[in-house]
Amino acid sequence: MSFLNPLMLVGLGALSVPVIIHLLNRHHVRRVTWAAMRFLHASVARNQRRMNIEDWLLLALRCLLLALLALALARPTFQNTAAASWGRTTVTGLILLDNSYSMGMTDGMQSRFDRARKYAETIIDGLPATSKTAVWLVSDVARSLIPEPTRDLNLARKILRDATLSDRGTRLCPIIKAGIEMLQRHGGARREIYLLTDGQVGGWEELDETVKLLTANKRDIHLNLVIINDRENHNLGVSELRLANGLTPVDQSLRFEVQVTNFGHDDARNVAVRLAVDNEPASDQTVIDSVSAGNSKSVSLFIKLRTEGSHAVTAEIAGDRLAADDRRTLAVTATRRLRVLLVDGHAGRPPLETDTFYLRNAFAPVDPAAAGSFYLDPVTITPTELATTRLDDFSAVTLANVPDLSQATAAALLQYLRRGGGLIVFPGDLVNIQFYNAELAGRYAFLPATLGPLTEAPDDDHAFHLQAKDYDHPLVALWNDPAAGTLASARFTKAYQLQPVNTPDARVVVRFADGAPAVVERTVGQGRVILFASSANTAWNDLPVRPAFVPLLARSLGALLEQRNKASNIAVGDRFIYRATDDALGKDAIISHGEKLRQFRRVELVENQPVLLSEAIDLAGAYDVTIQTDPPLKLKFAVQVDPRESRLDPLSDSQLAQLGAVATIVHWQPDTPWLQSNPSTAGGWEIWRVLAYAALAVAVVETVLGQLFSEPK
Amino acid sequence: MPQDASAQLLDPVAIARAEALGILAREIVEGFMVGENKSPFHGFSIEFSQHREYAPGDDTRHLDWKVLGRTDRYYLKQYEQETNYVAHLLLDGSESMNYGSGKLTKFQYAKVMAACLAYVILLQRDAVSLNIFDTVARTIIPRTGNRDMIFEITAQLAAFQPTGGTGISPMLHTLAHQTRRRGLVIVISDLFDDEAKILDGIRHLRFKGHEVIVFQVLDPHELEFPFQGMVEFSGLEQLPKVLTRPAEIRKSYLGELENFLNFIRSGCEKNHCHYTLVNTAHSLHEVLSGYLAFRRRTATR
Repeated sequence: MSFLNPLMLVGLGALSVPVIIHLLNRHHVRRVTWAAMRFLHASVARNQRRMNIEDWLLLALRCLLLALLALALARPTFQNTAAASWGRTTVTGLILLDNSYSMGMTDGMQSRFDRARKYAETIIDGLPATSKTAVWLVSDVARSLIPEPTRDLNLARKILRDATLSDRGTRLCPIIKAGIEMLQRHGGARREIYLLTDGQVGGWEELDETVKLLTANKRDIHLNLVIINDRENHNLGVSELRLANGLTPVDQSLRFEVQVTNFGHDDARNVAVRLAVDNEPASDQTVIDSVSAGNSKSVSLFIKLRTEGSHAVTAEIAGDRLAADDRRTLAVTATRRLRVLLVDGHAGRPPLETDTFYLRNAFAPVDPAAAGSFYLDPVTITPTELATTRLDDFSAVTLANVPDLSQATAAALLQYLRRGGGLIVFPGDLVNIQFYNAELAGRYAFLPATLGPLTEAPDDDHAFHLQAKDYDHPLVALWNDPAAGTLASARFTKAYQLQPVNTPDARVVVRFADGAPAVVERTVGQGRVILFASSANTAWNDLPVRPAFVPLLARSLGALLEQRNKASNIAVGDRFIYRATDDALGKDAIISHGEKLRQFRRVELVENQPVLLSEAIDLAGAYDVTIQTDPPLKLKFAVQVDPRESRLDPLSDSQLAQLGAVATIVHWQPDTPWLQSNPSTAGGWEIWRVLAYAALAVAVVETVLGQLFSEPK
Repeated sequence: MPQDASAQLLDPVAIARAEALGILAREIVEGFMVGENKSPFHGFSIEFSQHREYAPGDDTRHLDWKVLGRTDRYYLKQYEQETNYVAHLLLDGSESMNYGSGKLTKFQYAKVMAACLAYVILLQRDAVSLNIFDTVARTIIPRTGNRDMIFEITAQLAAFQPTGGTGISPMLHTLAHQTRRRGLVIVISDLFDDEAKILDGIRHLRFKGHEVIVFQVLDPHELEFPFQGMVEFSGLEQLPKVLTRPAEIRKSYLGELENFLNFIRSGCEKNHCHYTLVNTAHSLHEVLSGYLAFRRRTATR
């Protein structure tokens, strides 16, 4: 026998209460001087024996009542099976129903999730009377449909019938831990967790820790693992979709890279891949001859975006039994012209002496006559004009040898970056290093590095170069291929020693040959900043006249815009965050996903900035957002699944054996009721209810006898 | 001091009512003074009773001259004399009389009662004697018809403090032995003694021709036993303590008391003496006037 609330056994000390009350009452005896003692003596002599018996009987009943109450509150339980002959013990249960997207694997008739729901109902049907259960939907998070155990089992059945699949991944161990913690808050001789899952190995990353946790709680809480897995060996999925260069001009052919992964155990052949925009028929398609088991293949597909604004680009393969990973959507924002603001420290000088001459030509590398129709539109201004320029009209801003900025301009630049803007910074001889380091890197914290001492080559013969190979950053990964040319040919005579700020967002893009950072970038909110160590003109280096300068700038601009697109492409389970302009503040917004989902939100002020924030999103695909401004602002964003969930490998035999030591594992089979699958459901027997009834009976008897005994005799 | 004691003990209301009704002997008592009570001895007093023939030696003052003139026969007039009686007040001064749940103890109540009776008796020119006793006679005032003696009586009553045990029966027997003339014996007591012996004493007094009146004085708590909770009863007259829950034995106690009172009451009735149970919660004048009214209704005269 054990006790669920052993502290309550302290209540047995209450047995002394009636005796103490009796002793205390001795001090409260009324004393009377009495004349008619002869009658009193006669009466007492006649009644004393009876009264003594009654007193002892009442004392025994009161002590028994207190003992029963203390024992009932301590909740004694018997763990042996012999106790089961008294009847099945009520269960305090927690049903964990896996609704990760791998549970959507179907045999053509039913998905694993459908089977799990039905099986969960049979578990509820098999629970002893007055049992109670909670119901959580679990994936990489737990969604509590019934957070705490309820005796309303019909409600639990209805909740299970109405449960829906999500596009989330699986991470069960923290959820089991949370379930154990929840059940620990509840009493009960039998506390059971029923986990219905497909047993993907990917969902049990912290298996050892979970086994330890279950072992520690083995006495109190038992895990029943129901594995619903039909050993499917075939699954192809679109594991990645991305825009090749980050730029999304209208009516330009855009290259998208689509990665298809074979998650199954057999090779796949003739895999058709299609790319479509906004639910239109496929714009481009191709066929991958073969994808070997466990490997991925990428193909490039091209589309043109016909209109400005947000678009959803979807890559799709032929449907298989797991549909959730057969398509992947990317939200992109198309613009007819990308305007790039160039702020020139030497504006007004002859063109070759300005700081932005080479930039302007690199951004629009076309004949001046055709520059007006080119999709990139560089606009040059002076530093003083920056204060009056509306930054949101530009896709990116470039500061070339700008001495410093006003506080208001720096603050506006920070807000612009947070909203998804891009910034490229080139230093020069005019730059106020103290301002850059103290304000832009320090106070406003958007510069990816501080400017250190100026490194100068004594003469041209001792000019320094950029690294020649081993480019890690995607922005310069192109030059890992020697056929693409080289960055190392550029000669540098002056450059600041960049010291990247201490934040995980800051990354070195490329270094000088001696290892010193040459280009550093960081993300700021939804925007990105790229800082060069040397000038944008040929004063300190000859990079602007090297062939690599144009693609380097184009890729830098693409990286800046890609960062903006990242905010529109979130993972399942994340919340969509849109940093709106001030005129959208307080406006209502509708977020919709076809007929499946509709959220009504409002643009609210977060950290002094208007922000539209969705709820966490469980379903993958394209979403439409309409903010009720005048005219209404229409956006799209895409939600993408975690490709790891597409890997359907089940738990290995050794892992199952490890789990089996601390849990009951039931492999689902059609038409097998729960109790037959798991006959070991007879657990401990809890007797608090019997004790409570006994205490009630004793209380009634004591009351009746007390009343009877106190009547005059 | 005697006057103060009188003022304290003589309940004006009780005395006023008692005076109006008078203490009238239910039976003819043997008096020694001319009073309001009929004497069993036909003497030569005021009220004519009958004639008898003259015999030598008779006092010629009682010859009925009118009969002699009409018939020449010698007849003497005989009168029924209005005699005074002696009322013997026996007041229980045992410690058990010292109990009282309210303002008055039984003894205080009995003292007032005795004083009132003595005053009324003296007022109607009868004689009274007082005997306050416990196991023996403690205070004795011999019979007296002097009204001024009321002050002495009340002074003695006021000064007495009950301390000893109870011995009623010896007192009754002693009185029966000592008193040769028949009279009225008024016993005021709680009668917490051997009831059979008490009745023996009453029987003895009745045998001697006394009229016996018994006032059994009890406290309302003794009659009702209304105690609740745990109570420790300390016995007067050195009886051992009792710790009990009286509410649970009330019925039994009241049964015992009822048996005792019934025994006394029936014993008194058998011996043709008046028995009155006096509850000290009731006012004295109601008790006295009630009894005297009853007595007047049942008087032979």
